[in-house]
Amino acid sequence: MRSRLKVVAMATGTVLLAGLAGCSASGGSDGTTEITWWKLTETADSANAAITQIVADFEEAHPDITVNVEERSVDGHKDALRTAIGTAGAPDVFFSWAGYGLGGEFVDAGASLELEEYYDEYGWKDRFSEANLVPITQYGGYNGVPYTQRGEALFYRKDSFAEAGIDTVPTTYEELVAANDKLVAAGITPIQFGGTVNWHLMRLLDNLLETECGADTFDALVAKEASWADEECVTDTFVEFQKWTDEYVNEGFVSINNDESSSLLYSGDAAMALEGDWFNQVLRDNDQDEDNYGIMQFPTGTDRLYGFVEANYISSNSEHADEAAVFLDYLTSEDAQPTFIKAFGSQSVNVDVPAPADQSALDASWTPIFTESKGLFMNNDQNLSLSETTEYWRIQNLVATNELDPKKAGAEFQKFIDQQ
Amino acid sequence: MTTAPVIAPQGGAPGAPLRPRRPQRGSARQWLRRSGKTGFFAALPFLAPALAAYVVFVVGPMVESVRLSFFEWSGFQGAPQEFVGIKNYVRIFTQDPVFWAAFSNTIIWVVLSLVIPVGLGLTMAMVLNRPLFGRNTFRSIFYIPGVIAPIAIANMWRWMYNPNYGIGASLAETFNAPWLAEIQWLGDKNIALYAIFAAFVWQIAGTNMVLFLAGLQSVSVEHVEAAKLDGANAWQVFRNVTLPALRPTTVIVVVLTIINSIKVFDLIVGMTGGGPAQSTQVLALWSYSQSFGNHNYGMGNAIATVLLIITLVIVVPYMVWTARSEKES
Repeated sequence: MRSRLKVVAMATGTVLLAGLAGCSASGGSDGTTEITWWKLTETADSANAAITQIVADFEEAHPDITVNVEERSVDGHKDALRTAIGTAGAPDVFFSWAGYGLGGEFVDAGASLELEEYYDEYGWKDRFSEANLVPITQYGGYNGVPYTQRGEALFYRKDSFAEAGIDTVPTTYEELVAANDKLVAAGITPIQFGGTVNWHLMRLLDNLLETECGADTFDALVAKEASWADEECVTDTFVEFQKWTDEYVNEGFVSINNDESSSLLYSGDAAMALEGDWFNQVLRDNDQDEDNYGIMQFPTGTDRLYGFVEANYISSNSEHADEAAVFLDYLTSEDAQPTFIKAFGSQSVNVDVPAPADQSALDASWTPIFTESKGLFMNNDQNLSLSETTEYWRIQNLVATNELDPKKAGAEFQKFIDQQ
Repeated sequence: MTTAPVIAPQGGAPGAPLRPRRPQRGSARQWLRRSGKTGFFAALPFLAPALAAYVVFVVGPMVESVRLSFFEWSGFQGAPQEFVGIKNYVRIFTQDPVFWAAFSNTIIWVVLSLVIPVGLGLTMAMVLNRPLFGRNTFRSIFYIPGVIAPIAIANMWRWMYNPNYGIGASLAETFNAPWLAEIQWLGDKNIALYAIFAAFVWQIAGTNMVLFLAGLQSVSVEHVEAAKLDGANAWQVFRNVTLPALRPTTVIVVVLTIINSIKVFDLIVGMTGGGPAQSTQVLALWSYSQSFGNHNYGMGNAIATVLLIITLVIVVPYMVWTARSEKES
């Protein structure tokens, strides 16, 4: 009996020691420094290959640093960060969307290292455009390093437009509405959305808000410097929004997600989608003929680009902040960005990295959209706090399903804001 | 030949017959015997590990959850927890635009769960307790949904309800009934909750059936035959013989149904996420959304505490009443 207990105790101790030995190996046995980078799982093989190549190239150029990449789904990534940030288990570098309600949460929690010294050391202030730096500097100082800049615009099927007799691409809001009416008359759903993922339909509401209110009022509203209850343009926005969901958006959008609704675009049942520059690759992955698609900005009249910035942040309690900065410098450099943008998008965050010369026509159509835009307005789930975003979506969906008078939507949202 | 060892009785001469040792007055053993606790304390060392695990993994988090309901906290490890008293409760009861919808949906769900899947499970058990051809096959078919992961069930039913490619669209085409394709099963706030509930019934009725089948085996065949001989019809046999015999099983099924229905989460998340416009929101999911979605742990845990109180208010009196009824009978 006693000898059996000894064996069990020894086995248990061995297992515990083995487990502890595997933990927090931030120092390699060969003297290298290991940094961890938490990011989202890439669904496209090309994106995975690009990241693998970039990390390998970095490690070859910096043999004293190894990068341990950990990938998770969107929600898994958010959950992991929330529980690990501020603890010894936090990564050295982590990805997040840069908006106030997302990346801003980490900055508010003191989880993000302020990086101005690295911005000065590596010249990052000149490397990134003003639009890319707005979300980085909005909290004071420099929090995060731009990773991708995303633009969102209207993808349209050229064959559907031709069938509906739309000869020219709409450049004003009135022309866009007229085009919608022609599509309806031709029996084609003008635009598709998946309503179960609230952020998808939200893009339409955001663009209508920019259209009706203009850039200054839009910014004031999301900064809570203007009242959603008092601004007349907010009422106009929700009235227009309800008109779109009643007349122009695919039936049954409330009960399907964005992937399901996109199939309507692929089949030609819907003519347009409000998507981002990543959608070029999605079209290719779904065997769509790129030449049949065109891209136009939602004609808000403000010439601002609708999009968002994704960034990589260095944990405030990272023991390897210097090494993390070296990696982020490489990731955004002219050495790595050409490989990166081939798989991730059409525009590099580095102003000195041009778009690839062998881009497809569809990819190249993003260049003037990015270069000619005067400023950026972000998706409101990045502008608003998490609680406000949840309420914004609830009101959005109530109006979309005719359960709330659009004239009361602004006041309903302002009531919630006032209670926070 | 072995001889029994000679044990000197207390106070007696060696070799005198053994008498049971009488405990000393005021001794621990006497106290244990009087209070009937001898068995419990003897078993305690064996219960201790499970009890410790229960305290650490069940009771501890419950207490922590109630404690957090009196604080404001973003959930980040390094962020401070600010004591706010009952402010979170005031907010959820008076300011939260979703709480009361989630509350009523939860109550509706519990009530429907006690009626439909329980009744259906009992009916299926009664039918499949008879000697029927293919009985075992049917039992397996009805039970299989109970072992499928809830999120997989949610995915499956979401596709069935798809307005473009789901069952409604297919039936509309087959029977030339376009109105079938126009039903927004998960998009119409008046029916979405019940559409999800249909998936829940499909998932859970088979499990209830299995429990009732097990209980039916304890129904005395002799009592049933005697009742029939006395002229009782099928309903009278069921009401006066079968149901009373099923009481212990019914208690288990009802309690499990209440608990499972109060904490419904996976189906709602997988099918609607609480939409459209939070119309299918339930307390468990809303608690999760506040804590893990909105980083509002105080409010999330306040909702969880309310859910705990509702569970206790429903389950405890029921179990007390059942125990009393059993004692009386």
